[in-house]
Amino acid sequence: MLKRLTFLGLSAALAANTLMADRISGAGATFPAPVYYDWAYAYHKATGNEVNYQSIGSGGGIKQVSMRIVDFGASDKPLKPKKLDRKRLYQFPAVIGSIVVVYNLPGIKDMQLKLENKDVADIYLGKIKYWDDKAIAEDNPGLKLPHKKIVVVHRSDGSGTTFNFSYYLAHVNDDWANNVGIGKALDWPVGIGGKGNEGVSNLVKQTPYSIGYVEYAYKLKNNFKAATLQTKSGKWVTPTLENFKAAAKYASWGPKNHFYQVLALQPGDNSYPIVAGTFILLPREKTERNKKVTAFFDWAFKNGDAAAKKLGYIPLPASTKEKIRKYWKMHGIAPDQ
Amino acid sequence: MNKRKLINALIMTLSTLSALVGLVFLFWILWTLFSKGLHAMGLNIFIYDTAPPGAKETGLRNALVGHLILVAVACAIGIPFGIMAGTYLSEFGKNSRYANFIRDLSDVMMSAPSIVIGAFVYAIMVAPVGHFSGWAGAVALAIMMIPIVLRTTDDMLNLVPQTLREAAYALGAPKYKVTMQIVYRGAKVGMVTGILLAIARIAGETAPLLFTSFNNNFFSTNLNDAMASLTVTMFNFATSPYDDWINLGWAAAFILGAFVLFVNIIGRMIIKKRGRR
Repeated sequence: MLKRLTFLGLSAALAANTLMADRISGAGATFPAPVYYDWAYAYHKATGNEVNYQSIGSGGGIKQVSMRIVDFGASDKPLKPKKLDRKRLYQFPAVIGSIVVVYNLPGIKDMQLKLENKDVADIYLGKIKYWDDKAIAEDNPGLKLPHKKIVVVHRSDGSGTTFNFSYYLAHVNDDWANNVGIGKALDWPVGIGGKGNEGVSNLVKQTPYSIGYVEYAYKLKNNFKAATLQTKSGKWVTPTLENFKAAAKYASWGPKNHFYQVLALQPGDNSYPIVAGTFILLPREKTERNKKVTAFFDWAFKNGDAAAKKLGYIPLPASTKEKIRKYWKMHGIAPDQ
Repeated sequence: MNKRKLINALIMTLSTLSALVGLVFLFWILWTLFSKGLHAMGLNIFIYDTAPPGAKETGLRNALVGHLILVAVACAIGIPFGIMAGTYLSEFGKNSRYANFIRDLSDVMMSAPSIVIGAFVYAIMVAPVGHFSGWAGAVALAIMMIPIVLRTTDDMLNLVPQTLREAAYALGAPKYKVTMQIVYRGAKVGMVTGILLAIARIAGETAPLLFTSFNNNFFSTNLNDAMASLTVTMFNFATSPYDDWINLGWAAAFILGAFVLFVNIIGRMIIKKRGRR
């Protein structure tokens, strides 16, 4: 009797659900997760449609959308057009973010610590072991650096943040390029791993004398201290929205190659070195589902800029948004009006 | 004092100390759970869904309801299978080679890592269908449940005296009537306890749900869709860097801990009651 009641209840629930609004599911990058959560929350309130985004890492996002298990994948690593053709995916950017090098050093304030780009790589290579190493000290004459071991924190999962960070390291340090390379998951010479931007934030928060790399939104939410780095030409540049924007200006995304472009190390005197677009991946054959996904991003492009800015992201420029809308039309996946 | 007594005293102290150490950790866990979890509890937990960090209206409603549905469906699948298989072993298979093979197999399954079961269900129920689903999560939990229910049913039915069955046969009852009305009745209490313990066991599982029912930020009772659960939400929130999410994680831990403790205590109470009779 009881079982029959539960069964009836369940089938009633099932029937009720089919009448409800659109539900789409997405998974992937942790880098833009805070802004996607915010957009999805506001989109639900505005339209009643549900976008269930789960941050499992870019690697997981690419994998799940390639297997057609989620409606869209999210990755901070843009896929090359050839790979997109092979996996039968569309790709477009959604928002721009920045990766900051955060440190947990008692007594030293935000942006006070200056790190040469190549020294960041040397720390992650394990060549610089102590905070008062000569290489760091000579750039920070005014700071009292402790003689403490540097606790290196990196990602443990397949990560687009790691891809962009290692892209930057490989271009500023030959040792890194030759021995470790660029990728979503690396054979780390030193350090401990955290799952997602969330996990790295958690570890840096809890571990004194640690260093890590996270998306700027995670720095803001956790009141982390971030290091001043160098532009491509070696000028000191602080991790601020203004300097992120200066770098983001150089984005030259276009629909021809599915918006493929890595944004790290752009020219310019104020260009922060590790700025990255984050991308949405759609399965090509699912036209109708894709229209629901593009409807969400179309809404976010129109109404989500303020939320993105508040969290520390850079909204896409209007021209890029137009290009993306054209790209949707070109492939017949523009949202139904 | 002679040597024998000395050794006796020494071993007594050591074993008492070890028991105390075990208890200390148990109460430590309970204390942390209660102090941190209770502090995070509130009406909002039950009326709002999980929201982005910093949102005002935030709670665990979707995870609570999702979890209840997943466990209920897992029970609806797992319990009948477990009981029927256990009945077969005790009443029909007895000590045949085939029955013993099934017993061994179910013992192996009982100790199978839950993440492996999750991966298995992902391969047969998520990958081919093309989306995460509550059904997959419930099936994964049910698979974990079957060997536990099977084993306790088998053991409990075996405890029913053979003479009772013979008496029923002597009155002319067919085998199915003997099994359902005599043996089950005799073993009822034990079977219910086994089921309760099995529920307590699966209610706290995260690994089988991670890539089957996945997670859902919204309220959903649709088993064909990804579904939120307390354990996965707790896992995500507890490892997050946001204070309000971490608090919700503690609340989830508290609810889960209280539920499992409650079910376990009920199970023990039933066993005790039977002992007295």
